[in-house]
Amino acid sequence: MARVSNTPASRPEVIQSLIDGVDRYNPDNVSILEEYLATQCTNKECDTMANLAILKLYQFNTHLINDQVVNNILVKALTTLPEPDFNLCLYLLNEQLVTEEPVVRLIALQDLLEQARYADFWTAYEGDDIYKELTAEVLGFEESIRTNIANAVAMTFQSIELESLQRYVHLKGQALSDFIKAQGWTEASGVVAIPVNKDNEAKTTVLTENIKFEQLTKIIGHSNDA
Amino acid sequence: MNYEEDIDIASEVDLVVSAYPVQDDGLDEELLAADQTSQQYQEVQIPEVVKNFIVFFHRNVVENNVYELHQIYEHSFNKLTEKFYAKESWPEPEAISPLVNDDQVFLTLYRELYYRHIYSRLTPMIEHRFHSYENYCDLFNYILNSEGPVALELPNQWLWDIIDEFIYQFQSFCNYRNRIKNKTEEELAFLRDNSQIWSCYSVLNVLYSLIQKSRITEQLLVSKNGGDMQEAAGEYGSRPLYKMLGYFSIVGLLRVHCLLGDFTLALKMMDNIELNKKQALFARVTACHVTTYYYVGFAYMMMRRYADAIKAFSHILTFINRTKQYHTRSYQHDQINKKGDQMYALLTLCVTLCPTRLDENIHSQLREKYAEQSNKLSKPEEAMQVFEELFLFACPKFISPNGPNLDDPEVMNLTPFEPVQHYTKIFLSEVQHSILLPTLRSYLKLYTTMGNAKLASFLEIDPEQLRTLLMMSKIRSRQMKWVSGTLLEGEYQGTSDLDFCMKEDMIHISESKVGRRYGDWFLRNINKFQDILGGLELTTKA
Repeated sequence: MARVSNTPASRPEVIQSLIDGVDRYNPDNVSILEEYLATQCTNKECDTMANLAILKLYQFNTHLINDQVVNNILVKALTTLPEPDFNLCLYLLNEQLVTEEPVVRLIALQDLLEQARYADFWTAYEGDDIYKELTAEVLGFEESIRTNIANAVAMTFQSIELESLQRYVHLKGQALSDFIKAQGWTEASGVVAIPVNKDNEAKTTVLTENIKFEQLTKIIGHSNDA
Repeated sequence: MNYEEDIDIASEVDLVVSAYPVQDDGLDEELLAADQTSQQYQEVQIPEVVKNFIVFFHRNVVENNVYELHQIYEHSFNKLTEKFYAKESWPEPEAISPLVNDDQVFLTLYRELYYRHIYSRLTPMIEHRFHSYENYCDLFNYILNSEGPVALELPNQWLWDIIDEFIYQFQSFCNYRNRIKNKTEEELAFLRDNSQIWSCYSVLNVLYSLIQKSRITEQLLVSKNGGDMQEAAGEYGSRPLYKMLGYFSIVGLLRVHCLLGDFTLALKMMDNIELNKKQALFARVTACHVTTYYYVGFAYMMMRRYADAIKAFSHILTFINRTKQYHTRSYQHDQINKKGDQMYALLTLCVTLCPTRLDENIHSQLREKYAEQSNKLSKPEEAMQVFEELFLFACPKFISPNGPNLDDPEVMNLTPFEPVQHYTKIFLSEVQHSILLPTLRSYLKLYTTMGNAKLASFLEIDPEQLRTLLMMSKIRSRQMKWVSGTLLEGEYQGTSDLDFCMKEDMIHISESKVGRRYGDWFLRNINKFQDILGGLELTTKA
């Protein structure tokens, strides 16, 4: 199914018509979008189009900027990596915001996640209390990050050492076993087996050309003339 | 139609304007006085042939003779510009007013050309910027707020140029306003008191109003899904002037949103325009066609949808190649070539970030223009510099929507916000992660299986670092790609011909290969046989 990235299954109608029309430029509507963001923060969904509309209003009306909202939008965008959402948000922020706390902190996290340096990400994240404060309003932040890391691992590996996986998802003991089970993976003697999927099968394919009959009508027609 | 930004011009403007002895709010009067002196000067100067031209021009506007206007607009005006006004402005509108019976509509159109000529050939001063804005307001007011639809008809090319130039001058003004150092007190006061002039909201308002008045969205939906076009278009939209202005405004919004760094919204503007449709309206004006694809491709690139960007750039570059002989004569030839070069540069970046087999013609052109840069992009130590160079050369001239806060007494001491630098920085921080990927790829291509540690030693990096690199490369090789529907829709697809998987510490590599192509072979041989048959028939006859 073709889809627009990060559209939740159900977008409220009022939000849909806001995003689609000229009302998205009306500063009075910012609170509706901000409330919608608050809902996303608690129900673990993410609607990037709607959140970009908030940043657009901030871009035009700098007096509206609410630092906490900007922060939450960026934290939300972190949970959607490797989608490009985080940078799409940065492009709408002014230089001052991007070069100051707390945004630089979040950029540091993004940097590690983008490079798939997952172990380093958890070290940084756990190493400073500020990160837990910044992500506090986004419910299930760690869980979302962990799910995305699991996706990256499942795309790359057919089997992986338990010890590496443990560092990537930052879980131990029973929690790790439960996590592995929840993904549908199996662990045996220190190695986790991941079922083959379309991304980790690495099958050699041969591209063959596909000529449709319609493309030949000219030639066939020509041979009749001769 | 001028894509160049006049960075060095700001200081000259300052010099000239500060030469006026201006009181606090007397700027306009002073400027008016200056206008009048130059007007008297101009009156004597108008050559007979130009006078005749203006009279002829006026008559054809009044008679709505679109065919003649096309000639006038694309040829005569430019010819006369070369001959008389290559280095000075066209006669002041007030000076030609008697020639056209003081026809205000014609004078507004004339001013549009008059200011556009100043922007493209000379140095626009602050009063030109303001008056040109006012003139656009007059023009759009006339079109949008007259009683009922206006009878005016203009060539499509001109209508496109009106929208294009309106946005260009907006962009030019934003950059001018951003450079507050070495502006005079008067200029600053003027900017402070007229903050609504060339504001984002006013520009968006014009473009959206044209879209609404023309009911172009409804018309596009009918042409896509069927229905009654007359009813959808309504009183205004059924006239070509409104329809085309509405349509061009959609492309205009695509551009404005790119300039403001909102790439998602930019592509959303195109929701109802089918890019793949033959005979799409944007193709009626070459400059519009090229602009559309440049901004669509650019927005895709910024959204990391490199495969879609490559497709957009390849499409339009093929078009430019094929139609070369037609537009060499056009006055827009240089602009189109420049945009073409920029798109080859962007294509070079995209192909580095997402290795793709290009169309043969495009590929050879790319090698011709950017072979050296292309090679450097695959070398980690040189890549970043080339990424920056090509991006700066090829990106749109981004704007800051608000400009500096002139009420802040500290503002003169702050470093001005440079939007282009800002966007470049974010883009570079993103591609920086990818600079090792071409090297990694070249190694992977040589093997079918390989130990992680061994490859790490080849690359001279830590084995753990290689693993993260491999994961990153895997993630980057899956992209959202357009399949059907609106431009923002897509499916996740693999975009690389090289794939791999890891079983613990062992990398298994697979490469997709292109099978033998039979079509070409058969076609060539069918032709050959036809020649032989033809030859045989001739010999039997003889």
